Order: sequence, then C-alpha cells, then structure tokens
Amino acid sequence: MRSLFLIPLLLSSFLSAAVENDQAYTSLEKLSQSLRTLNFTTSFVVVKNNNAEPYHWSHGINEDNAEVEVLSILNGPHRDVVRRNNIVSYLESGIEPYSVNSVFIASPIPEIFSGNTEKLIKNYDLVSAGRSRILGRVAQFIRIIPKDPFRYGHWVWLDKDSGLLLKLAVINDNGQVLEQIQFTHLELDETINPSLQQIELTDLPTVIELPDLVQKQDHAWGVSWLPEGFVEINANTHRIMHTKQPTEFKMFSDGLVDFSVYVSPSQDENRPSGFAQDGATIAFNEVINGIEVSVVGKIPASTAQKIASSLIFKVTP
Amino acid sequence: MTESKFETVSSLVDNYQLDDKELIDVSNDEQMSDTWSRYHLIGDVLRDDAPSTIDLDISLNIASAIAAEPTVLAPQRKTVTQQVKATVIKLAKPFGQVAIAASAATLMIVGVQQNVAQTEQIIPNQVVQTMPVFGTADPVSLNVSQKPSQEAKRQAYMEQQRRFQALLADHQQQLKLKQITVQAEKQVENNIQ
Repeated sequence: MRSLFLIPLLLSSFLSAAVENDQAYTSLEKLSQSLRTLNFTTSFVVVKNNNAEPYHWSHGINEDNAEVEVLSILNGPHRDVVRRNNIVSYLESGIEPYSVNSVFIASPIPEIFSGNTEKLIKNYDLVSAGRSRILGRVAQFIRIIPKDPFRYGHWVWLDKDSGLLLKLAVINDNGQVLEQIQFTHLELDETINPSLQQIELTDLPTVIELPDLVQKQDHAWGVSWLPEGFVEINANTHRIMHTKQPTEFKMFSDGLVDFSVYVSPSQDENRPSGFAQDGATIAFNEVINGIEVSVVGKIPASTAQKIASSLIFKVTP
Repeated sequence: MTESKFETVSSLVDNYQLDDKELIDVSNDEQMSDTWSRYHLIGDVLRDDAPSTIDLDISLNIASAIAAEPTVLAPQRKTVTQQVKATVIKLAKPFGQVAIAASAATLMIVGVQQNVAQTEQIIPNQVVQTMPVFGTADPVSLNVSQKPSQEAKRQAYMEQQRRFQALLADHQQQLKLKQITVQAEKQVENNIQ
C-alpha cells in the first residue's frame, strides 16, 4: 500500500526532470533567437592559461531588417570582425582585410549558440541546473553534458530576462574549468547602436569567392575513428600560416566544437607524440613512418590521440 | 658706600649665610644690588659663562616689550581648532581618492606589463609534453652512447613550440574560412529546392 503512494512521487520526479531538460532546450533556443534579433552592446573576457583576453561586441538590427555586428579584441594588435547580414569581414593588423560569405563570425562563442540548437541534442544532454547571479542579473544555469567521454562539457549561464549569454565555461570530465568566457557588461537597446550604423556607410573588403571544390578535396587518407556525431565539413590543401609548410587538411564538427586534422610528409622518420594545450584547445602532433599527423581543436588529448592513430590511407587501384 | 656694605654684598655673592636684615638691605639698596649684579657678571665672565650679549636689565626690556605689544582681540580658541579640522577633512578626502586611483593605476600598469610579457611568449603557460604522452616510453638501448646536448634539446623544444603555435593559429584561420562551404552547401540546397 505504501509503495503505491511512492509511484506518483517517482513519476513526478521523472516528469520534473523532463520539464527541466525541456526548459534547458527552450532557453538555448531563446539564446539563439536573442543573439539574432536583439540590439545589444556587450563586453566579455576570455580567461585561459591564466590570462584574460578582453573583447567588445555589439549587435543590432538596422532599418532594412539586416543584422549588423562588430566584434573587437581589445588587447594587442587590432583584430576586428564585422558582419553585415551574410558578409563577414576580418580586419586584422598585418593582414590584407578580406570578407567571406557567412552568417557566423569566428568568435570565442560557439556559433551554434546563434544557430540551430537542435544539432546539440544528438551528442549532448541539456540539463537545467538552477538559478544563480551573474553580472548582477538573474541567470539560468544550463549544463551541456556530452553523451560520451570523447568531448568536453559546456556550462552556460543565460540572462533570465533577455536570454543572452552571461558566462560560458568549458569543463573536462574531472569537472575542471579549462576556459571561461565571462561577460563584464551588457546593455540592451530598443534601437541599433549608432556606431553600428556607421558600418553601413563604410566600404567593406571584397568577398573571397572560393570555388566549391577548394574545400571539398578528396584526399588519399582518412580517419577510421571519430567520436559519434562528428562529420567532415571541409577538406583542402594549404600552407600552414606561419611555417608555410604545405599540408592536407580536413575539418570535422559535431555542431558545437570543430577540430582540424593535418597530414603531411615529414623530414623526420619518427617523432614521439606530444601536445600543447591552449585553454580548451589542444594541438596534438606526431610523426610515424615519415608522415606527420596533427589534430587541433577543443577536444580532450586522448580523443585527439585516438583520432590521429586511426589515420588510414586509401589504396588506389 | 661703606666697606661693610661691600663686604655684605661680597659674602652674598660667595654664598655666605646672611641674616634677613642684611638681605633686605642688599635688595633695597640700589647701589648694593647693582654691585651684586656686577660681581656676578664679573664672576660669569671669569668663568666664561657670560652670554654673548649682555642685557644688564632684562626685566626692564621685557616690561617695555610688553608695553609696546599692540592690544589684540584674539579669536576664540575653539573656532580656530574647528576650522583647522574641517580643512584637514576636506583635503584628506580627495587626497585619499587620488591615492587609491594612483595605486589602482600602478596595479593596472603592472598588470598590463605582465600581460604584454605573457603575449610576447610563444604561448603563455603552455603545457607542452615533449615526451611520449600515451603508450610506453622508448625501450632503453645499451648502444645509445651520446645523449642529445642541452642546446639540441633546447632547439628541439623551441621548434616544437613554433610548430604548435603555427598549428593553433592555422586552426583559428581555418575556422574563419569554414563557413564558405557551409554557405555554398546551403545555396546548393536552396537551388535544388
């Protein structure tokens, strides 16, 4: 008789858990919506390697209903990203400015937060973990927990009122914080920020038109193991920026994180595997039988190692 | 002046006991008291105790100085202290703020300098594993006669750092260019529809 009383209790706890997860999903959808539609001016710092990088970011909707946003890094050489609807321009000191066709700017904030949230649920559990106070506001705390041990968790704190991001932390499976983004200022406006309207008047650099095939090259190698949900999004041949070393390249994405795989012949016959950690980003490198393999991205070292060692060469008939 | 009078004065100067009558005589008699002070002055000069300027009648000088002093209606002491206090507080506050601001500025400068120093490094606080990370270490061989020198080790380390730095930078660059294909795909999808 007593156990009968427990059944509704259990049911309700299951139900409330389900409701919480739904709430987490709805909040992330609201985040995406807010990042696309609100006029906001904000500042944040990326904290990694015991170092803080400050950014300034403003976003708005102009009279033509087009999105305009500017992201600037405030320390060191000038690096600004400007987006006007589907044209993103990168203005960096020392590099000829260029534009690409995209609706996302390359930023420390994962682009999925302003994109399609649905892609997340395939590989991650979304758990609403209560309320806290961030940036002097009431924030909803959501954990994006990976379904397998091959990727990192993301913890997000969202503004209850506007739905905007207030804090983000990348967490490894020991619960250690590898990288954090803390917003330090948030201002919401009814109308577009006047400084963004200035961009309407400026001439942006011309868009790089790449033939589709440039990023769709067929390499004679592949990786036989990938964590579930990662798909190849790019494949090209280019020279590595600083070393000018030619390399064959592939990029994989699970929607939230991206990683790169580089394969090139090496002068060394063998080099023991090693890695460098930059916040949550790992750079893994090894040379086996004269072939250099590198894996770079926000994934655990063990995953990078596993991917690198799964390298296979296609046998051409 | 009689001999006995001088004797009395002389005994007084030499600290001999005198009776009250004699003392009164000395102090009342102008000639005797002048002699008394002259004897003392002579003694002071002989003992090298004389002041640099000899004011023979200090009391007279003081009396005349007091007479010459203008009559001042001095302000009440209480008011003065209050005014002083108020000024001190007024001054102290802004100075305190300035001091705090200045110390904050110093901290900021120190912080900025540290950051500059950090960014100048290839990668700050980078954890670089130069040894095999996973699996087993290389088997030990007895034939290994030469260990790599410190310089070679250092160079290998620097090269490793450069390689990782280049990889991290290139990955960031590829992230900026990745959307080109995603967009192209979307266009293709739209065209098909």
